[in-house]
Amino acid sequence: MNLMLIAMILALLIPIYEAWQDEDIWQKMLAFASAATKTSVMILVVSVLRDDWMIGVVGVIILSVGNAGLMLLAHLIKRMSEQ
Amino acid sequence: MNDSYVYIIVALLPLVAFMLMLQANPYNALVIRGILGAVAALVYAVLGAADVALTEALVGTMLAITLYAVAVRSSLVIRLGVLKDDWLEAESDPDAAPVDRPSLTQLITHFRTIARRYHLRLELIPYPDLQSLNQGLTEKEVHVTCSPRSPQPEHNSKTDEEKSPSYYTVTRIRRLYDILQTELSSPTICLTYVAPPDTGEKH
Amino acid sequence: MIHLLSNFCIGLGIVFWFWGTFPLLGKRSVLFKLHSLSVADTLGSMSIIFGLLLKIPSEWSLLVLALISLAIWNTVLGYVLAYCSSSGGRDER
Repeated sequence: MNLMLIAMILALLIPIYEAWQDEDIWQKMLAFASAATKTSVMILVVSVLRDDWMIGVVGVIILSVGNAGLMLLAHLIKRMSEQ
Repeated sequence: MNDSYVYIIVALLPLVAFMLMLQANPYNALVIRGILGAVAALVYAVLGAADVALTEALVGTMLAITLYAVAVRSSLVIRLGVLKDDWLEAESDPDAAPVDRPSLTQLITHFRTIARRYHLRLELIPYPDLQSLNQGLTEKEVHVTCSPRSPQPEHNSKTDEEKSPSYYTVTRIRRLYDILQTELSSPTICLTYVAPPDTGEKH
Repeated sequence: MIHLLSNFCIGLGIVFWFWGTFPLLGKRSVLFKLHSLSVADTLGSMSIIFGLLLKIPSEWSLLVLALISLAIWNTVLGYVLAYCSSSGGRDER
């Protein structure tokens, strides 16, 4: 199980690296979306690993609410590049 | 608690924070800030602070990014005042500009490239005549004005015998003047700087 | 048996994650990357959560909520990102 979590961290490093090296804002947004999903799933995995109900609730809330901020940011950036 | 993955996850946080510091474009920095918020929430959750993780995800990632995006969008802007008929003429047929002077469209494109280089946004504000244009500049409605005639009559007569510039660009902000001075290379544009009339006022 | 199955699901999810995330590094267009990301990432995440669900069936309400929100949000987010990037990016280039 520990090994699986380390593999997940490696998968998380890919979008982080992508967000760093790519200059296009939409590629960065994609990397952000990928990283946000991955971190919340990792929170869920950790909560099941430790059998901690409280962390699991936080993971689910982040998973279901955190994407809304991403959509707001996407619309703002779209307005920006229209002008 | 002493699992090896905890150390790797905690090491991600300074890594992403360092990435955030290296960003020059404010919008890219906002996106990286979102990733930093997600990673921070993960770190807090792994270390056992569920409430801090929830606050970081909701406030730090959602609210702060949205507010910062609005703030950056409304503050990083150059407001360029132009004359209305001049603008309409340039809008309706960009190719029909006179040969001896460049059209306003070209000038605006030039301004746009400069603004994009400094991550600014260009906003055009049309004014009906020259007087209200100058008034808009002194009343701090616009940062830069752009007109085919000179705002100061004596300046106009002085340059008349030489090859006179076809556009007079006046700015009231020192930093913008410095930027435009180095970037604006076209000889058909005359750039002047006017100090704000009341310098005692704080902003 | 259940334990083995759940481990298999989580491993499959991680493989899906890598599969969906590696195209991010290439020089392809945004929509291509978005396609691979939204398909493989969502499937991988759902497979991981399903594996967790097999591991701890007592927390089923939480994990089913996570599954549903993952499926809905990632689909909607894919649409929103595609819409924003395609109409906003046209005059940029």
